Amino acid sequence: MAQQRVLPQSKETLLQSYNKRLKDDIKSIMDNFTEIIKTAKIEDETQVSRATQGEQDNYEMHVRAANIVRAGESLMKLVSDLKQFLILNDFPSVNEAIDQRNQQLRSLQDECDKKLISLRDEISIDLYELEEEYYSSSYSLCDTIDLPLCEAYWRQDLTSFSPDGLSAPLLVSPAESGTAPMQGTAPVLPHVNGPGSGPTEHA
Amino acid sequence: MATYSLANERLRALEDIEREIGTILQSAGNVILELSKEKANERLLDRQAAAFTSSVQHVEAELSAQIRYLTQVATGQPHESSSYSSRKDCQMALKRVDYARLKLSELARTCEQVLET
Repeated sequence: MAQQRVLPQSKETLLQSYNKRLKDDIKSIMDNFTEIIKTAKIEDETQVSRATQGEQDNYEMHVRAANIVRAGESLMKLVSDLKQFLILNDFPSVNEAIDQRNQQLRSLQDECDKKLISLRDEISIDLYELEEEYYSSSYSLCDTIDLPLCEAYWRQDLTSFSPDGLSAPLLVSPAESGTAPMQGTAPVLPHVNGPGSGPTEHA
Repeated sequence: MATYSLANERLRALEDIEREIGTILQSAGNVILELSKEKANERLLDRQAAAFTSSVQHVEAELSAQIRYLTQVATGQPHESSSYSSRKDCQMALKRVDYARLKLSELARTCEQVLET
């Protein structure tokens, strides 16, 4: 199993730069810290006066402390760069993340479809009962959908209402038949035979 | 992809490393603070100094392990797969549900109208 592949030039140099930055920062932190501790040692023999030496040590410690903080900051930047590189280029984890997302979305889709199918089954049962009721009653006899083609051709008002031609007869016929339920089909026949009498009732 | 709630293990490890870098600086500061006092508490000094060195070594080891993993895993190619197809399918399913709900509400309104008259 080849563990070391030949990476493209830019990626390899990039990773080498990451390594270098890591080593430099860690070294900087350690060295500066040890130097501060060493400088904290009080010596009796000084080349310059005590005050000057103290000032110098003070300044040196400030600078070394600032170096430690800078190295820490640079390490944080390195970690952030590594995170970015990982998100973009770590293919195993990217693949896994995509697979998980796909699974999640597919299960949601399956649930939606399952619910819709169960809804359809329930509604079809109700529709069966409603259709039985409707077609066995007297309302279906005056329904213009059951007209033979020649009669339907004479119904010029129906063609103008074609978008809701299905719902209009359903709405209108129970309403107008409700006023005279006992008379059966007799009062409705004129409206079937007379194309001109239709529009006022349908409007 | 940043919207995924399931973060990667490695990303979590990197976040831990970030926190640990903070503790490195913290313990370094505590050591120097202790030294600056007139009467330094030796046990505290030793403990903080030990924490500092162990944290630094830990961070170095973790980061070089991460970089090593990346050298093994990274290629120059961009990643070319996505979750767009299943996302589109899911969107379609949700649209279907919305449409069914719309039609059912219309049907309910129609039934109410008929029952009122």
